[in-house]
Amino acid sequence: MGAKVKTIARRGSTLQERIFLIEIFKGMATTFGHFWRNLLDNSKLYVRHYPEVKPEIPVRWRGRHRLTSHEDGSVKCVACFMCQTNCPAQCIQIQAGERLDGKAEKMPVSFNIDLLECIYCGYCVEACPLDAIRMDTGIYSVTGKDRESFNMGIDDLLAKQGAFTEEDYKKGGA
Amino acid sequence: MSLLDILMIAIRVAFSAFVPLCFIAVCVWMERRGAGFIQDRSGPNRANIFGFRAAGLVQNLADAAKLIFKEDIISAHIKHKFFFVLAPIIVFFTAVVSFGVVPFADTLVINGKSYIMQGIPIDIGILWFLALAGFSVYGIILAGWSSTNKYGILGGLRSAAQVISYEIPMGLAIVSLLIVYGTVNLNEIARFQGELLFGFIPMWGAILQPLALVIFVVAAFAETNRTPFDLAEGESEIVAGFHVEYSAMKFAVFFMGEYVALFVSSAMIVTLFFGGYQIPFLATKTLITIAKPLAFVLMIGLPVGMYYFAGWIRRSNISHYPRENDPRAFEAKWYIRCFWGLIVIVELLLLAILLCQSGGDTINIFVALLQVCTFLVKVTMMLFVYIWVRWTLPRFRYDQLQKLGWQMLLPLALLNIFITSAVVVALS
Repeated sequence: MGAKVKTIARRGSTLQERIFLIEIFKGMATTFGHFWRNLLDNSKLYVRHYPEVKPEIPVRWRGRHRLTSHEDGSVKCVACFMCQTNCPAQCIQIQAGERLDGKAEKMPVSFNIDLLECIYCGYCVEACPLDAIRMDTGIYSVTGKDRESFNMGIDDLLAKQGAFTEEDYKKGGA
Repeated sequence: MSLLDILMIAIRVAFSAFVPLCFIAVCVWMERRGAGFIQDRSGPNRANIFGFRAAGLVQNLADAAKLIFKEDIISAHIKHKFFFVLAPIIVFFTAVVSFGVVPFADTLVINGKSYIMQGIPIDIGILWFLALAGFSVYGIILAGWSSTNKYGILGGLRSAAQVISYEIPMGLAIVSLLIVYGTVNLNEIARFQGELLFGFIPMWGAILQPLALVIFVVAAFAETNRTPFDLAEGESEIVAGFHVEYSAMKFAVFFMGEYVALFVSSAMIVTLFFGGYQIPFLATKTLITIAKPLAFVLMIGLPVGMYYFAGWIRRSNISHYPRENDPRAFEAKWYIRCFWGLIVIVELLLLAILLCQSGGDTINIFVALLQVCTFLVKVTMMLFVYIWVRWTLPRFRYDQLQKLGWQMLLPLALLNIFITSAVVVALS
């Protein structure tokens, strides 16, 4: 099946269009329509009053990262370095240590993500074999007053819970 | 020279110097909010003083404060620093001074002495405007050249080429106007337009010379470097064109000069084509005779208009999301109070007009004030047209611009001169 070719007629060659004025007045009528409508009733503007009204974040949105944990609260991460190796921005720094709770052999002693380096590509989430790192916090705007506040440690990453239910997250294509 | 003479001179000079400057703020505000509404967004409306946003006007103050306190940089590679600094001054100065010849009210008679109501009392009128409008382009060319920057010089060159191809149609359009009016004095031109054609149509330039109106308006757009003819800036092609090297207050002076030029050319279009300060159907003499009934009509009309305006403020100035004790509603209440206060003051003045003896100087002053208001309203409407066109049309390509100037506007302007002269000769 070949690609469908849609021929779009060239415009602008008729006398009416070459005079410009008529077409200009048509365009001005359109813009004035918008102006007048919004002047009379500014509730119809296509804007979100942003800091007060937040946008709805879909499940597949790649927000700020978090580390998931087992039901007993221990970290799922086994410090396999898949995410660190995969990270194109090299923003993940893991230090592995011995794990004593019997769930695995290793666990991260420190797990740092530098959010100023991060490009939010989601490769760490893709790479993780144990679903230990996710980007489902729904945080789309990370702000801070100094550089250090953007360097997320393991405690910061574990503290935040996911913004969606497990069911929605699975359906969302994780 | 009596004290009154000195006062009148001070008033008229102050008016023609400060009104264009005040209108910078109005223009910028209209441009940004107008652009917002045309594009279905709201424009700057967050900057406030104690929660009072004045519909976005406070944003101008914020911008001004920012531009004043920014570092003023002259790059080391600029060799001709004198010309570099001179360029924005030329643009701004010529724009302000060219408003000097525009009359904003008819000649005012006080104590049997007549006072001309324009900044500079000279008769050359339109020629003064043409000369200074042409000269302001030197500022742009000089800025582009002295920036020692390829984008700057391209902008300057474009502006030079553009001004040549648009000054000529503009001049020729004015020639045909002058054939009709028979004078270059703008006050006489405005007075001419107060007459009625066939007894019921105002003899405005727009009605007598529609073709000249189109040519003049197009050329005026090109002259003020506004879209669709803002090739000298062309931010998508040559960054910012002629003012690419300018920062802080030097950029602001360019910016303000552009808006003053906008105001002046609106004032010029209004004076030449839309009757200047004349209220349609009411020439100055008629106005003086019916001043009192008019004051009475205004006394009734103003509160009615204000009532609907207050309703509009109340409807528009609210938060569009759930909010406790909406501060915008509180704000709107105060705006409405301020406007009602203003209305009360105007009403008292109108009452004083009604009670004073007819035929006196008070009536003359009242008529002059009415004409000033009419003039400013007309100019504001013309400014809106400029803004409206800017947010409707994309920029012309360079060759299209030259083609339009030389192959369409120039022949049309010449044709217009021939037709006008033929008609004028046939009628006289």
